[in-house]
Amino acid sequence: MPAVEVTAVRKAFGQVKALDGVDITVGQGSLTALLGPNGAGKTTLVRIIATLSRADAGTVRVLGFDVARQPADVRARIGLTGQYAGLEELLSGRDNLVLIGRLAGLRRGEALRRAAELAASFGLASAEGRLVRTYSGGMRRRLDLAASLMTRPSLLVLDEPTTGLDPGSRRQLWAALMDLRAEGTTMLLTTQYLEEADRFADLLYLLNHGKVIASGTPAQLKASTGADATLDEAFLALTGNTTETP
Amino acid sequence: MTALTAPAAPIRFRAVRDSALIAGRNLRVLRKNPGRMIFPLVQPVVLLVMFVSVFGNLALAGHGAAGAYRQFLIPGIIIQNATLTAPITGLALLRDASSGLADRFRSLPMSRAAVLAGRAASDAVVFASQVILLLAVGTLLGLRVSAGLPGYAAIAAITVVYGLALAVLSGWFALVIGDPETAERILFFPAIALSFISSAFAPVSDLAGWMQPIARATPVTAAAAAIRAIAAGGPLGAPLAELGIWLAALLLIAGFLAVRRWNAPK
Repeated sequence: MPAVEVTAVRKAFGQVKALDGVDITVGQGSLTALLGPNGAGKTTLVRIIATLSRADAGTVRVLGFDVARQPADVRARIGLTGQYAGLEELLSGRDNLVLIGRLAGLRRGEALRRAAELAASFGLASAEGRLVRTYSGGMRRRLDLAASLMTRPSLLVLDEPTTGLDPGSRRQLWAALMDLRAEGTTMLLTTQYLEEADRFADLLYLLNHGKVIASGTPAQLKASTGADATLDEAFLALTGNTTETP
Repeated sequence: MTALTAPAAPIRFRAVRDSALIAGRNLRVLRKNPGRMIFPLVQPVVLLVMFVSVFGNLALAGHGAAGAYRQFLIPGIIIQNATLTAPITGLALLRDASSGLADRFRSLPMSRAAVLAGRAASDAVVFASQVILLLAVGTLLGLRVSAGLPGYAAIAAITVVYGLALAVLSGWFALVIGDPETAERILFFPAIALSFISSAFAPVSDLAGWMQPIARATPVTAAAAAIRAIAAGGPLGAPLAELGIWLAALLLIAGFLAVRRWNAPK
């Protein structure tokens, strides 16, 4: 059973077709990346998979559960790191983690233990008692990722997790994500950093104008453009040098 | 990393538990940012003192000697302040809805009503603090409650539930408006209008003719009448029944609409 199975999904906002018959499959334990110009439909798709939005047509199944009919079952099994940090600025890092863990169903003792464990894993142990508003951008992003891992989700959904981070923070975040992959966590992410997708993803889906225009491993996508093509060159060739979908 | 034990059984009373967690979070945030209490606590006291100082010695037609107006005015000001405080709930809910936290909460397997109910529960603390303060200052300024402490407790309880009902309504309005800046400019206007088109400051029969039918049919008038009846030790049946209908309708209908709006897929 795939971790995510998206079939013929359509979604429009007024006259704008955000998704126009999208099919994707995410295998269990894999790291799959959605690529595409701004406005291609990546975030819309991720939001539907994470039960935050509803498709106009088509089906989405996450770990065997239909996101429209069984959203509670889906929510119990996924972790989401959205584009904007889902954190309370006026609480400490520890309090944020414990709150999210408890709302996800953990008992207080479990939430405290898990929060301490994740703070240590993400290099936040010395700052876990500080208010989040005193954190740097990289620390917030790592805390946000830690928050989505409080219940050890089977599927981690990440919407541009490294956007806006400096190279050091990006490296730290990717190290954490690679640890998770090694433990078998399935990950679906969107990113604008093609070199990250090239280096870390098992499978890529390239979206443009709400459609999947190419898919495959990074090597397959590059090879489709030319023998020595980079992923940047493949991206530009496949999207027709589109910078943004209107 | 050690393995995480999933809850062995479904959590009982999940909605209550999750609402309490959200309320706890809101109160901790309030403790870290006490400036947010200035509007709901300091401004009402200032308004009470100003209104009573300016108008308190007026004699009100049909309401006895000069000074008796204070007994009429102070309950009205208590309800007026709860009315003006209610939009804070809507704005706070909208602040959550507009932040990344909303997506976080919506992606969790938590109760769908917890964010609104938790907000209302934490704001109940604000309404309770406000009415206790106003009752203390009001008593110093001349308010008399014939039933003593139980009367004070009943007035406080009514004011808190009334404030929560309007707070839930403001939550729905705010979520419908959608934009925090616009909501900030819009939400206080109906609260101000509602508190003036009522019996908060003058008997309905003394208001402008066009105002009277509206003023008779507002929850502000019903709440002020109930508090005045408790303070005077008068018959409580009719005013409490009218207020009860208002509060039940607001809490149920506005609560349902606000929860549905919060959870509506985008």
